[in-house]
Amino acid sequence: MGENKSDVLQGTLDLMVLKTLESMGLLHGYGIARRIEQVSADTVSLNQGTIYPALLRLEQRGWVKSEWGTSETGRRAKFYSLTRNGRKQIEQETENWERVAATMARFLATSK
Amino acid sequence: MDWVRVVLSRCGALLRRQKLDEDLEEELRSHIEFAVEENVKRGMSAQEARRAALKEFGGMAQTKETYCVQRGLPLLETLARDIRFGVRQLRKSPGFAITAILTLALGVGSVTAVFSVVNGILLRPYAFLDSGKVVVWRESIREMEHVAPLLPDNYRHYLNLKTHASTIQDAAILQTAGFSVSGNGGPGDGGSGDIDHPQMTEGLAISPNFFSVLGVTPVLGRTFTSDEAVAGRDQEVILTWGAWQRLFRGSESALGSTLRVDGTAKTVVGILPRSFRFPVMSIMAGQASHGSTERYEIFKPLVPMPNELIEDDGDFNFLVIARLKPGVSVRQAQSELDGIEKATAAADHLAIHLGVSVEPFAEEITGDIRKPLWLLLAAVTGVLLMACVNLANLQIARGMAREHEIALRSALGAGSSRLLQGLLIENLLLGVIGGLGGAAFAIVAQKLLALTAASLPRLNEIHMSGPTLGLALGLSILTSMSFGIFPALRSLRVQPQRALQSGSTRVSGNKQAVRSRRVLVAVEVACSVTLLVVTALITRSFSHVLTQDRQFDAQHVSMAKADLSAPRYSSGVAMPDNPGADEGSLTRDAMIDRTLDRLRALPGVQSAAMTSVMPLTGDMSVDGLVRPDHPVPEGQIPLANRRFISPGYLEAMEIPLLAGRDFDLRDRKNPRVVILSDKAARAAFPGEEALGHTIHHWGRDYKVIGIAADARINDLKRNVAIYYLPHWDFPPANPVFVVRSSQSIESLGPEMRKSIWAIDPDISIPTVVALDAQVGESVATERFQAIILSSFGGAALFLAVLGIYGVLAYSVSLRKQEFGIRVALGSNRSQLARLVLMDAFYPMFGGIALGLMGAAAAARWVSSLLYETSSADPLAIGLSLAVLLLAALLASLLPVRSATSADPMRALRTE
Repeated sequence: MGENKSDVLQGTLDLMVLKTLESMGLLHGYGIARRIEQVSADTVSLNQGTIYPALLRLEQRGWVKSEWGTSETGRRAKFYSLTRNGRKQIEQETENWERVAATMARFLATSK
Repeated sequence: MDWVRVVLSRCGALLRRQKLDEDLEEELRSHIEFAVEENVKRGMSAQEARRAALKEFGGMAQTKETYCVQRGLPLLETLARDIRFGVRQLRKSPGFAITAILTLALGVGSVTAVFSVVNGILLRPYAFLDSGKVVVWRESIREMEHVAPLLPDNYRHYLNLKTHASTIQDAAILQTAGFSVSGNGGPGDGGSGDIDHPQMTEGLAISPNFFSVLGVTPVLGRTFTSDEAVAGRDQEVILTWGAWQRLFRGSESALGSTLRVDGTAKTVVGILPRSFRFPVMSIMAGQASHGSTERYEIFKPLVPMPNELIEDDGDFNFLVIARLKPGVSVRQAQSELDGIEKATAAADHLAIHLGVSVEPFAEEITGDIRKPLWLLLAAVTGVLLMACVNLANLQIARGMAREHEIALRSALGAGSSRLLQGLLIENLLLGVIGGLGGAAFAIVAQKLLALTAASLPRLNEIHMSGPTLGLALGLSILTSMSFGIFPALRSLRVQPQRALQSGSTRVSGNKQAVRSRRVLVAVEVACSVTLLVVTALITRSFSHVLTQDRQFDAQHVSMAKADLSAPRYSSGVAMPDNPGADEGSLTRDAMIDRTLDRLRALPGVQSAAMTSVMPLTGDMSVDGLVRPDHPVPEGQIPLANRRFISPGYLEAMEIPLLAGRDFDLRDRKNPRVVILSDKAARAAFPGEEALGHTIHHWGRDYKVIGIAADARINDLKRNVAIYYLPHWDFPPANPVFVVRSSQSIESLGPEMRKSIWAIDPDISIPTVVALDAQVGESVATERFQAIILSSFGGAALFLAVLGIYGVLAYSVSLRKQEFGIRVALGSNRSQLARLVLMDAFYPMFGGIALGLMGAAAAARWVSSLLYETSSADPLAIGLSLAVLLLAALLASLLPVRSATSADPMRALRTE
């Protein structure tokens, strides 16, 4: 996991997924992808498929859990939800992200 | 511990892969269905909706791939795949795989087996504290150097050196001793009552500090105290663990109980640790001490004789071991001790020039066996080297054959690191399988080695240990990897498009590979020439030892050694220099005569006789041949081995009598008679007739009545001077009865025991052996060398043949078309054969030239091991070359046949 660029992106996507689950509760992969697109008002062009490796990664770390269920339209799908560790992780990630964002903002301000 | 969870989940995923794949499949399908559903709701047609859904999703295949990588352990999975692929590749070419594995197993296995022997005998430290600090010192007398460069030690000199030397911590003195042991049947007897006749065992008489010098403490009881090394108070013994188990069944009550040793009761005061073994030390320097290190079982305090305490220029009867002070080298100790010895000798105005020589204990014990063992290790390493070369050869050939495949794979997009990984894994597989085979082979070979080497020192301590077997596996993997990787790298360098072009370009493209294979074959030939020549030399030398004229006949002779050390045989003054009609001598004399009478009466016995020293056990009882009529200065007196024999001994051994007569019963009245061996006679009476002259011995004159042929009864390899005296002059304490009979030792041995025990059941009989077995035993080291080297030579030859065959067969297969065209153009078969043979010619003769140089160097190194064989023995060298050439010819037969049978029609068709 060494490539910086994908690392940043990866981290962003992870946080987005976690945040989505925090606000929406139980949700399937397609729902998460759509929700991210909506919230970011289509400024993020997401290859929806990339959501699945991200979900797997989060699940492996024990931040989300998954179970098979049925959607309101009666379709069988895998539903994801946050775990207790996941909630803690959101706090941490948010803090990190804010720090990075603040730092970047300061840099951008000075270089003006 | 996030990563633990991740790894666990990944590992778990490996096991449930199929289920998870299905899950993923379904999840992605439902994703698309959701999207289609939504798109349709927005008003797209079903087809449009699906296309849009897929587009938004991104690459389906990429997602699955990333997902799988994230899920499992990708490295492990590709590894598993590569291993499976490797196994498949090897199974596809079983010829290559089996040859490579066998080659590896053979090479690695034999190196491991020999190494375990070398390690056990030469390298493994003794079970003493810091055993590298233990040394042995011996004395030398300049006036005696031509007979014996190094002597055992004198007691007075030992005390002097021990007191004054500052380089040694402490030194202990010892003497080997044989004991006849029996339980005393009393209440303290720990269960040794099942011994009918006393058992003979060996041990050491030691100074009380012996165990502290070695740094060994008894597990039970104590060592000796200094007041126990005093005459009359030496009533204690210490037992080894083995003897304790055997005599007392390991019972703790053994401490304090008594044991009858040489007819007197001794108290057991200590039991030594289980790991303690003291190797057999030979009294003369430079000889390997053959025999099991479990031979010494009993230790008793050493009490020097009164004369040994005052004697300065004789009585070199002891051995000394010492522990160096920390930081002191053997050389420093040597120079200090030698200096003290010389200074003391000068101060005391001694007529002889003394010196001291110090040697590490381990080297002293292994003596003359060191070089043969290193030779074997060198030879077997040569075999391993050849195995490596063969392997490299095989790999190059295989690489060439697979160029096409590899080019195809890399053209299809296989990364070179993946290709390399695959090739390495294939080699790893070969290495592991070869190593396992080698370990199995080593276990068997080591047993065989031990069997062949019956009499090497410490042989009983050799065993195949886990680490050694691990080493074999490691060596095998290392070999297969390192000799596989270069050919593998070579094949990776090949340009895909060139290799993918038609087959004919392969031939020219591989000139370099063919050349390197030829170099490898030359190396192989060189190795095998060297090995074969050394083997031939050693074998020739061994056959010289066996076939030379030894002037005695070892067949149909059985021997039994009796021990007459019980008090009734040794009462009275029994000093050799003061013989007389003391009671013990008379008893021994009577015992010998009565035994001989009984032995002669046994059925099938042609003759029975007795000698004082077991044949083929080397020099013993060496004394000067002094002529009263012709005084010679001290130091120039010829030396000879003294043997007391009964009348008929020469006849029983079939030692020819050259002049005069044998002893007979008339000589009992006039016992001052002597028989000289031819060499002794010529040494004492140069240019004169010895018969009728006199020899001065033990203060009396002995008349020479016979001259016997020079029989090599001490040592097959040396012709030594011997003088024989009639046994009644001084009946030996360890008579060896010699019986020539048509009966074998198996039936005669028990009869001989019975005859001796019929006279006295308390006599122990330590040895009953056939003379030819004794002869065989005396050349065991030489035989071991010859047999093992021959098998290595055979292996080397086999590998060389394999190598030559491989190269020729391959080049013929590449040139098949060319040969076909040649035939079509009118070439005849013999021209084709010559073409093929020329291919083998350069590597062969280059290799032979190289090998002869190697052999010259090796022969110089082994020349000290050769007996009456020149290290440039033409027969040995010629024979080795002839065998090699014949084998090479054999190896090229098949390729030549296949070349000359080239079918012109087929060649033209494929063109």
